[in-house]
Amino acid sequence: MAIKAGIEIHQRLNTGKLFCRCPSILCDEKPLFSFFRRLHAVASELGEVDIAAEKESERARLFEYQVYPRACCLVEMDEEPPSEMDKTALKVALEIAQALNADIVDEIHVMRKIVLDGSNTSGFQRTALIAMNGYIETSKGRVGIESIALEEESAGIVAREGGKAVYRLDRLGIPLVEISTSPDIKDGAHLKETAEKIGMLLRMSPYVARGLGTIRQDVNISVEGGARVEIKGAQDLHTLPLLLEKEVRRQKALLEIIEEVKKRGARPGAIKEVTDLFKDTSSKIVKNRCVFGLEMKGFEGLLGKELYEGRRFGTELSDYAKSMGVRGIIHSDEDLAKYGFSSSEIASLRASLGNCFVLVAGEEGLKALEEVKRRASMLFVPKETRKANADGSTSYMRPLPGRARLYPETDIPPIATAPLLPHLTKLLTPQELEKTLEQQVGKEFAKKLIKSHHLHLFLRLSQHYPPKLVASLLENTLVALRREGVMVDESLVKELLSLYAEEKIVKSAFPDILAFAAKHGLSVKEAVERLGVERIKGSELKRLVEREGRDFKKIISKYRLRVDPKELKEMIG
Amino acid sequence: MEAEAGDLVEVSYKGRTYRGILMPSSSQYTVIKLDNGYNIGIGADSVKLLKKAEKRGEVEREEESAEGKVAILGCGGTIASKVDYRTGAVYPSITPSELRAIFPELARWPIASKQVLSVFSEDMGVEEWFKICENVESALKEGAKGVVILHGTDTLSYTAAFLSYALPSLPAPVVLVGAQRSSDRPSSDNRLNLMNAVFSATQDFGEVAACMHASTNDDFCYLHRGTRVRKMHTSRRDAFKSVSALPLAKVDYRNQSFEAFSSLKNRAPLRAEKHFNANVCMVYAHPNLSPKLVEKLRDFDGVLFVGTGLGHLPLGFFGGKGVYKEVKELVESGVLVAIASQCLAGRLSHNVYSNGRLLKELGVVGDGLDWTPEAAYVKLGWVLGKEKDVKKAKTLLERNVAGEISRRSWVGDGYQGRY
Repeated sequence: MAIKAGIEIHQRLNTGKLFCRCPSILCDEKPLFSFFRRLHAVASELGEVDIAAEKESERARLFEYQVYPRACCLVEMDEEPPSEMDKTALKVALEIAQALNADIVDEIHVMRKIVLDGSNTSGFQRTALIAMNGYIETSKGRVGIESIALEEESAGIVAREGGKAVYRLDRLGIPLVEISTSPDIKDGAHLKETAEKIGMLLRMSPYVARGLGTIRQDVNISVEGGARVEIKGAQDLHTLPLLLEKEVRRQKALLEIIEEVKKRGARPGAIKEVTDLFKDTSSKIVKNRCVFGLEMKGFEGLLGKELYEGRRFGTELSDYAKSMGVRGIIHSDEDLAKYGFSSSEIASLRASLGNCFVLVAGEEGLKALEEVKRRASMLFVPKETRKANADGSTSYMRPLPGRARLYPETDIPPIATAPLLPHLTKLLTPQELEKTLEQQVGKEFAKKLIKSHHLHLFLRLSQHYPPKLVASLLENTLVALRREGVMVDESLVKELLSLYAEEKIVKSAFPDILAFAAKHGLSVKEAVERLGVERIKGSELKRLVEREGRDFKKIISKYRLRVDPKELKEMIG
Repeated sequence: MEAEAGDLVEVSYKGRTYRGILMPSSSQYTVIKLDNGYNIGIGADSVKLLKKAEKRGEVEREEESAEGKVAILGCGGTIASKVDYRTGAVYPSITPSELRAIFPELARWPIASKQVLSVFSEDMGVEEWFKICENVESALKEGAKGVVILHGTDTLSYTAAFLSYALPSLPAPVVLVGAQRSSDRPSSDNRLNLMNAVFSATQDFGEVAACMHASTNDDFCYLHRGTRVRKMHTSRRDAFKSVSALPLAKVDYRNQSFEAFSSLKNRAPLRAEKHFNANVCMVYAHPNLSPKLVEKLRDFDGVLFVGTGLGHLPLGFFGGKGVYKEVKELVESGVLVAIASQCLAGRLSHNVYSNGRLLKELGVVGDGLDWTPEAAYVKLGWVLGKEKDVKKAKTLLERNVAGEISRRSWVGDGYQGRY
């Protein structure tokens, strides 16, 4: 089966937030307070209400938002109009657009993308298309970059319980650059390569955030004869080929099921309340709850049909039910005894609903079964937004959104780009940078540094200190300390190098000093004093040599942390 | 044919062609909405019309009898607004009948609706107040169960105060309502505010009130007395507070709960006293207040100073530079001079400091009053519209008409009944 695939990469920036002047930080303290909101679907400027938005608003959820005053203000609370776009974030996004060979638009229009799942307090995400028609070279030819957008990150989900969802506001509003490729990707390996190439290119900017959750991939897949789906939230590049493979298998199996459904003339029937059948039940799942059943005449054996390992057609129907707030479904292709149903209960179920049926328990059951019925009636592979799971499988989230999801953010005037272009810095390509690094620190370090979280720290520090020393400090010393669980922050590294440059400490004492300072929350200077590792040099070293004798090995083994071997060697001659 | 906003077009830009819907532009660039939903501005080389937009039908304006119904009067504001693509800004434009389509919950109550004004509340004045007042009167004469006025939030408290004085006796509730987040966004506060306003309008009382979010939460609203309500924040949902008073009630239409905090005025036969002398002004006092400015105020029939603290003006009591002479001349020239406090909450007292005693001596109205500057300003104009005689006007000004002056001070900090 022929496929077309494209990828959407969302990269967080480490500038300030996009539409307010809060810092882009995630908080570890407790929230100061929470508040509650509801969202409602609204018609867009073209008079249409988006289907995805409508589905969300049917859930009529209550949303709780946790407030972290260190990282958010009234803008995140949707209690103040947005400020102008962060200038650095815009500059960085434009630089990335240039590095991807894209045409920058003349005037940027910030849009509101309707999102009703509560992840944005306003009910929309602010997003702006900044460039189009770029490309990136890969081993299998050029992959087009359809569009580059700059948008705000959503609020982080904390919990979902019943009809309520809890979000935290610290993450809301952090700038994201969204890069969408054309459907030029040919297979799983190519998908991974493209994602890696773009990721590497992004990291050439010092304003690109690093670390867990700072980059996300959404994959768009169209299968010939099937449908286009968007798979959201793949965090691990290694699962991308598997994701693609499983999606193709899923759609292929669905097409086979559709053929069979057509052949049999199977159609879902009526939805009935069957609560009464379980009056005296001992099954915990349905006891004291209302239960609804959907007739599924002709679907015998299809509900249990495997799409790929761990996912059946029943799982697909179950996902639709879950989107209405229930835990899942029970269907007649399963062993019903495992739910604790008695044989007489099973018999009366069959008498009421026929041999093939779907059951849902709970208040939301009716709504959930209507969704199941809607899904089971589709004689095509539906266009969907799906969620990537860690094992490369996917689950249904919502219908694929249409065009009506965007309308203008009228609180922010359009931004002309011509005046900004002369101020952009050209990003080096990863190849160019690696070459420069090789000249400075050799091949081995260059390879490490180009992929390192410390890349930009290295580039800054190596302007003031010997590059090889900095590289070794960042890629050997810090990495070794981190393995021991010692996290050293940037300020300590800078202070250490400055004391070293002043000849107050020696290289071999670096690990001890950093570990001690980090563990005790001290400055480097304090750690040096407490450890007693000030450098012995000049006349003091001379006296030491006179006292200890002109034995290099002996002195070094005794004063390794305080004596610079080079100076000692010169002195001893 | 020339392509217009809304038409499907093909534009060429940097050697490529793009299809999209032409959008209005306020700059030199061509703005189109692409298939992916984004708008972009580009210096297009050419714009080719592909398909004309279908003209959208005009919204029908129903004029129906308000008898037995809640009459909703559209008077502009964010609660009923849409995006205007000529300027890209939000404008009041949705008619109340459109509101019924937007808020299915309105089906709970029988409603009638009418578009009275489409104007920013900051552009409102006495003409608009009269027009709103007349429409309230006719709705009530038709037998409306209650009246809801959709209003911009900026000057909502002025209109509320005017209606409170102009309609001293009401057979049904008159509830003003607005929204701090425009109605085009999913998070708009318009729904909760409007539903609670309509629900309030079905309750058993007869006075002018405003219904707005009680807190940042989407849970319930407070109903405020028309002469006590004030916008206390530029942007928050809960900007509206009752000043120097408890809110009238906590309103929660979802739970059908209307919990009164203070006694509401009873229903009574309709009586209107529509008059207003617009030749009054409000002057904010401040250090260095110019005597020249005060001197010029003689052209007005009434002047409300928004004074400092307990109701003071920089009179220059200890021989400093001040406006004592000018205020004295102002009063002597026959201008009705009154004062409110820029503290907003709390009662004025002209007995504590010599500054106050001097003002009292001069005959400046304010001592012992706890009115808000807005309620005081509107009252001054209303009083001077009714009474040409300054002495009689002064007596009326000092007397409570619509809850703007209370005799006892609530124990709280002065806002929303907090204590």
